[in-house]
Amino acid sequence: MNLTEGAISKITSGGATSAELKPTLQVTDLKQVQTKQPQQSDRFRLVLSDGSHLQQAMLGTQINHLVKDGNLRIGSIVQLNQYTCTTVQGRMIIIILELTLVAEECELIGNPVSAQRSSGPSPSPVAQPGNVNASPKSFGTNSVTGGVVGNQNMSAAPVQSPEINQFHNASPSSNYGPGRFAPTNAPPLYSKVEATAGSVPSSGLYVNQNAGYPNPRPEISQPHMGSYSRPPQSAYQQPPPMYSNRGPVARNEAPPRIIPITALNPYQGRWTIKARVTAKGELRHYNNTRGDGKVFSFDLLDSDGGEIRVTCFNQVADQFYHQIEAGRVYLISKGNLKPAQKNFNHLRHDLEIFLESTSTIQPCFEDDNTIPKQQFHFRPISDVEDMENNSVVDVIGVVTSIAPTTSLMRKNGTETQKRTLQLKDMSGRSVELTLWGNFCNAEGQRLQHICDSGGFPVLAVKSGRISEFSGKAVGTISTSQLFIEPDSPEANRLKEWFDREGRNTPSLSISRETSTLGRSDVMKTISQIKDERLGTSEKPDWITVPATVIYVKSDNFCYTACPIMSGERPCNKKVTNNGDGKWRCEKCDQSVDECDYRYILQLQIQDHTGITWVTAFQECGEEIMGISAKDLHYLKHEQQDDEGFSKVLRQVLFSRYVFKLKVKEETFSDEQRVKSTVVKSEKVNYSSQSRLLLDMMEKFKSGNDTSFGCKAESSYHNPGVNNAVIGNSGIRQAGPPGSNPVGSTSYAGNVGLPANQLGQYGNQQNPVFPMQSSSGGYLSCNSCGATSHSSANCPSMVNAPGQSMGGSYAKRTSQGGTGECYKCHQVGHWARDCPGLSSSGKMGGISKQHVGGF
Amino acid sequence: MDTSKPAIFVNGALLPMHVRKRVRTVIQVVGADRGAVVGKSPDDLQLVVKGSPPSAPLTNFVEVIGIADSEKSIQAEIWTNFGDAFDTYNYNQLCQLANGEYQHLFL
Repeated sequence: MNLTEGAISKITSGGATSAELKPTLQVTDLKQVQTKQPQQSDRFRLVLSDGSHLQQAMLGTQINHLVKDGNLRIGSIVQLNQYTCTTVQGRMIIIILELTLVAEECELIGNPVSAQRSSGPSPSPVAQPGNVNASPKSFGTNSVTGGVVGNQNMSAAPVQSPEINQFHNASPSSNYGPGRFAPTNAPPLYSKVEATAGSVPSSGLYVNQNAGYPNPRPEISQPHMGSYSRPPQSAYQQPPPMYSNRGPVARNEAPPRIIPITALNPYQGRWTIKARVTAKGELRHYNNTRGDGKVFSFDLLDSDGGEIRVTCFNQVADQFYHQIEAGRVYLISKGNLKPAQKNFNHLRHDLEIFLESTSTIQPCFEDDNTIPKQQFHFRPISDVEDMENNSVVDVIGVVTSIAPTTSLMRKNGTETQKRTLQLKDMSGRSVELTLWGNFCNAEGQRLQHICDSGGFPVLAVKSGRISEFSGKAVGTISTSQLFIEPDSPEANRLKEWFDREGRNTPSLSISRETSTLGRSDVMKTISQIKDERLGTSEKPDWITVPATVIYVKSDNFCYTACPIMSGERPCNKKVTNNGDGKWRCEKCDQSVDECDYRYILQLQIQDHTGITWVTAFQECGEEIMGISAKDLHYLKHEQQDDEGFSKVLRQVLFSRYVFKLKVKEETFSDEQRVKSTVVKSEKVNYSSQSRLLLDMMEKFKSGNDTSFGCKAESSYHNPGVNNAVIGNSGIRQAGPPGSNPVGSTSYAGNVGLPANQLGQYGNQQNPVFPMQSSSGGYLSCNSCGATSHSSANCPSMVNAPGQSMGGSYAKRTSQGGTGECYKCHQVGHWARDCPGLSSSGKMGGISKQHVGGF
Repeated sequence: MDTSKPAIFVNGALLPMHVRKRVRTVIQVVGADRGAVVGKSPDDLQLVVKGSPPSAPLTNFVEVIGIADSEKSIQAEIWTNFGDAFDTYNYNQLCQLANGEYQHLFL
């Protein structure tokens, strides 16, 4: 098994992207990350080895299943197909988006060491510890020899800096602390030297890249920012504004750099995206337990095809609502990135932006043509058949027919409009699309016009929701968008196909046509309730049964109901006799003088196949009995007219009705029973019933007694939406540094390298991402005053017994802030630019330093 | 149900096949002509029903059972008022069923 050698340094240095390098690496460690937000999905952190170096990586959530299934474990060999590098709290982390499992299990290959470097691209601090042991003058002497190679100076810097930072960072870490430092220096030395060596290739790269990398000031600050977010900069005698981790300095640095939407992650503090508003939602008012509020959201699309939803609440919503215009391009920055609420947000991004009052939205006056107006992920209609209920899909098809608008009452009493049309595409399937609300009149009307005039318009539906109401159908939701005759390649292809052959090709509908009998009208016999196990599925079955009433239970045919109006209807809950002639309703918590009587009628019905019990409530009971429950109750109980009562019953017996039944399995005291409730009953209309029977006989005769819904299998089976992030180009860029809550001290020792690399390469690539870290959070050391560690772990203490290093470190810190180059101790330049630098000398210094320090 | 004297369901078109046999049909009364009732068969042919109608006035639709004495007339023995609304289409279908493939299912 061969690992891709040098891959890690190439990746972390930014010298390789997933397009050009697909390295084979080994997983040497794998852990689940504890996330603070429970709703966030699990994340896995792993350590990758290329045989010589180790590198931390995170698994994209979309491939978490590999770990969960147990395929990806410690020791697995993987090939990274898509990944991106990002910096999180000063550490370089590879985010793996797609990988191939080469081998599930393998012995550890090679003897990899951490490639991590934290901080310090700045050459200036580098020398310090290195030179601690040597007399400061050694620089001078070295510079004589070293002056020769400018490049080497450069390369020296990264090489050295890690050492320092390892020193700083490692020591504070409680894990490493004593264990590492206490033993004799020999073994750690070894590893450190390795590490140094390891970083050489990358620094070599760095150097080369730096050919065009101007050294002077402007850049300086950035690498510093990157590298020094954590360590106790202030302790050094660096010019404070440069190295201090005071946020504002970093924050105000550079103009915002635009990053692709796909590269957004919750660990970034500062980002700017340039994107087009593809959809703008209404400003909606809501009311929940926490009170009233308003919310408004819009969808963004950028030139890399990344899409994300932006949501704002209350004042922020007011603030931005009028600024946002659908179709325009904006620069947006500062906002909270939170996991997307997939219930409401179907965009292909795991996150959602929540704007704050400090967020900025700046319209771009020049339209950016690289950003598409809309992005579709069309699926053939045949695929829709296999997709989950409620999933959101984009479809495009030819409208073959459209029905007029109908209005219907919703459960909450409001009225809404609906219009259905048939959509057909090249997959040989058609689907029913339901337009709701305003779509009926605006787009629906236009489609109707075109269809009426004999046309077959192409309709693209963005974000339709799949429903399973009858077969599979697609319906509009509030964020849906309809495009009639869109000007796109898909539409043109479809039109061409339709004109050529599609018009005459029959297509199978994946929806149950509305013209056929609805599901609720399925005619069944009583024995079929049992035989077909109706009602035992999740949803109730609605059937129609012509049958004869053969028995009516005369006891308890009605109950005492609460007549108090709640909303538009009476409460109808059962009331109990208070004993004082009043009736009390638990639900309404009120008593009334007179209650209502409502049917709860138990009947036995029979047809030629069997007998069953059914229950009929108020309206149906009245329909069957021909008398109201109240009257019947009085007849029986007040007037004690048993004869009259049984006369009513006898009238009902042996009369035929067409019952519409709701059949559903219910549990009563641990017993599962299929219960049939009459939802409608009609006296049999013999004429129409006869016609129905004749029809059935006709069908039976022609051997065609079942009406087969076309259940043909879809030939293209493309399960699962491809979630892979679109637009790799965006991802490839090193993610901007941000704060990473993930970081744990156990890695502190390794942190040095990658952060450093990032500081340099990352910044080089994305010069705009300054790392501002909040300095506030860190402990400060009583001993040396630095902020990266507590006094318990203070390097000065730890090292004190063995080496002078700690001591000198402490000494150095005490000199802080003089503003001189601390290599040559001259004022007027930083150590980084120190003219008297010698690489060879410094190298020597370093290795010595290693010996000393570790 | 009296099964001793079965009567065949017929419409206008089927009547000629059952001359001299006992038949039954439903007619829509059109008028009376010399002691006979003129009616329309379920398949819209004109039939003459002879015999003595009951004393009660005939409704729009009447079922008659009797002997087919010609291709277009029935000597009725039993007259039954079927009311003013009747689905002749269904009855016509019934007649065809009774004389078709499933004849054996009928008396």
